Amino acid sequence: MKLSTEQFTALQHELDSVKQQVQTQLGEADARYIRRVLLLQRLSALSGRILLVLGFITPWLWLAGVLLLALAKILDNMEIGHNVLHGQYDWMNDPVLHSKRFEWDIACDAASWQRTHNFEHHTYTNIIGKDRDFGYGLLRLSNDFRWRLRNLWQGGTYLLLSMLFQWGVSYHELAAQRVFFGKKKADRHTQVSDSELKRAFFGKGARQLIKDYLFFPLIAGPMWLWVLSGNLLANLLRNVWTSTVIFCGHFTKEVYAFRPEDCENESRGQWYYRQMLGSSNFTGPTWLHILTGHLSCQIEHHLFPDIPARHYPAMAKQVQAIAAKYGIPYNSGSFVRQYSTVFLRIMRYSLPGGNRATAPGQLQQSGPV
Amino acid sequence: MKMFLRRLWRNFCLMLGNQHSLTLYFLPLLQRLWPGFLPGKYRAHLLTKQWQTTDMLQLTFKVSGRWPGFIAGQHLLLTIHHNGRYSSRPFSICSPVSLWQSQRQIQLCCKINHAGEITPLLQQLQSGAVVNISAAQGNFYWQQPATPAVFVAAGSGITPIAAMLLSQRHWLAAVTLYYRVRGTENAALLSELQQLAARQPLFTLALSDSRTEPAETLQQQLCTDSYNKQFYLCGPAAFMQQLRLVLSQSGVKPASIQQEQFGLTMPTASEHASATKQLTASFIRAGISTEVTLSTQHSLLQNAEQQGLAPRFGCRIGVCLQCVCDKVSGQVRDIRSGVLSGHGAEQIQLCVSQPVTALVIKL
Repeated sequence: MKLSTEQFTALQHELDSVKQQVQTQLGEADARYIRRVLLLQRLSALSGRILLVLGFITPWLWLAGVLLLALAKILDNMEIGHNVLHGQYDWMNDPVLHSKRFEWDIACDAASWQRTHNFEHHTYTNIIGKDRDFGYGLLRLSNDFRWRLRNLWQGGTYLLLSMLFQWGVSYHELAAQRVFFGKKKADRHTQVSDSELKRAFFGKGARQLIKDYLFFPLIAGPMWLWVLSGNLLANLLRNVWTSTVIFCGHFTKEVYAFRPEDCENESRGQWYYRQMLGSSNFTGPTWLHILTGHLSCQIEHHLFPDIPARHYPAMAKQVQAIAAKYGIPYNSGSFVRQYSTVFLRIMRYSLPGGNRATAPGQLQQSGPV
Repeated sequence: MKMFLRRLWRNFCLMLGNQHSLTLYFLPLLQRLWPGFLPGKYRAHLLTKQWQTTDMLQLTFKVSGRWPGFIAGQHLLLTIHHNGRYSSRPFSICSPVSLWQSQRQIQLCCKINHAGEITPLLQQLQSGAVVNISAAQGNFYWQQPATPAVFVAAGSGITPIAAMLLSQRHWLAAVTLYYRVRGTENAALLSELQQLAARQPLFTLALSDSRTEPAETLQQQLCTDSYNKQFYLCGPAAFMQQLRLVLSQSGVKPASIQQEQFGLTMPTASEHASATKQLTASFIRAGISTEVTLSTQHSLLQNAEQQGLAPRFGCRIGVCLQCVCDKVSGQVRDIRSGVLSGHGAEQIQLCVSQPVTALVIKL
């Protein structure tokens, strides 16, 4: 599986040309697509909120409201928010769909997420100790981490994280910077001060809480409890769905992790190679891809994070062919299969021992350098 | 109190829709109802297209009743949606104010640059097409109509000056227009100006053909007749720089010269000592920092584009403020004025900023 320097360079050129091909044809079709998704999101949010109140006619209307509101939140977070905040639609110059201006319907402040996700996670994907998305500092996902007593009940921790996922995402940067707890790291690098982090965290969090649990229940009058519980349920559905999708992207059975020392001075080709090994896809119909924000094509997303996501399924075919050519494993399977391996991994590593996800020297070139 | 209420409302909108205004939240719906709706802009329908010269296209628009109007000499930003993308460029209004007052129509004279992004699209616009325009802006207008004035226009610089002259209803002092063009067949709006000269004894039109008449002749003409006059200049940057220099040498006060500039002239490397150094910058876009080596001969916008970063931009000459970014640290020079910025955090316009020291910029 080791590649030579020439092979890494060739890999880089082939993947670059896949990207180039799509980049040159971006235009009207992409703009129309994302604006339609945005319209669908707005309509389902509005109708969902109205139907929650109409629950007094029949509870089925309330249930439809919950599902529509959850759909709106999922579309907002995944196909729209995640992709827009990656800068995939910056070329449109749109007043809403721009990475600098977009804010999403989730507890996490968009700018904070851009720093942790776009920078930390996408640059240092699956490098143990550098990409805190590998286990989120809560879960032990391979034997690269020392076993601790708290890992024994990490199945429960996972369930809780999944249900409160938006707050986990929101707290992610503050945890890294040790804003509230823990000793500050000596080598930490910051773009923003602790007070700004706190203001963004509390400001955005408060707005989200007030909206769903105070404002809308209040204006619903006697239906306040229905609206409140409906909002709670919609948020819960969104949290569980997003966390499930994201766990399928990096923690499946055959996924690889890396040691920091192996990634020093890596070339662009090696970076591509690491992204392919560190991510996993799952297959499904088009609507499933849209609900995941095309993170079902996590490999393509990690290779080309700023290409509009609707192109990923088509690019996946080309990427898979390239992977086969170089003998690079291409980790894909059905949603159920991929998710079951994630769940088994969480369970397996709650106990001591197990395999490492890293392989020493795995990124080094074989043959003469 | 008003400030407090405004902040409260902004936070309310942020809470409800995560947008600074509810208009932005409902934008996808509003755009379905009114195609071409864009917040902060006005709609304009194209009525007619007419070639003034071989490369100057005159567009007549019917503008929305909400558009707040203009002072003759001002420009606006024209926004076109093409291939999924909004692009804007500034254009001076060339029609008289009366046309807008009586019929809600304005005219723009646009020089078509076939290698450009926007102007070739203007050529393809069909009548009835909807574009967006901004409110009129700029402070190039006829300030003292009671003082004798000299107008100097070069090439497409005639557009704001034609609007000023054609809008004037009560003539109080003698006015001369020196109109420098490459051959009379390339003089846009010439017939309108000739008609004005025929009907208005205080107005003199002097054509200056750059193919037969050297620039020095025009400069001498201007200097011999410069006492106690207001000067209004509009044309390419280099042309105006030269003219300004000559006029100030012959004793014209800087306060008596008004000018409007088209395009930018980049100061050359030798003009600034810092240009010899190799500079680096970190551009932070969507949370990711990119380290780049800067060319001091180019604007930061050009530098970022050369690295494939594609920041947001509009007019590229410092007018539309779409490329404003947060500078975290480092010093830049304003290409237009040569003024140096501070070293700390502030907002800068990428298109007219030239790097002076190492920089950290949030795109």
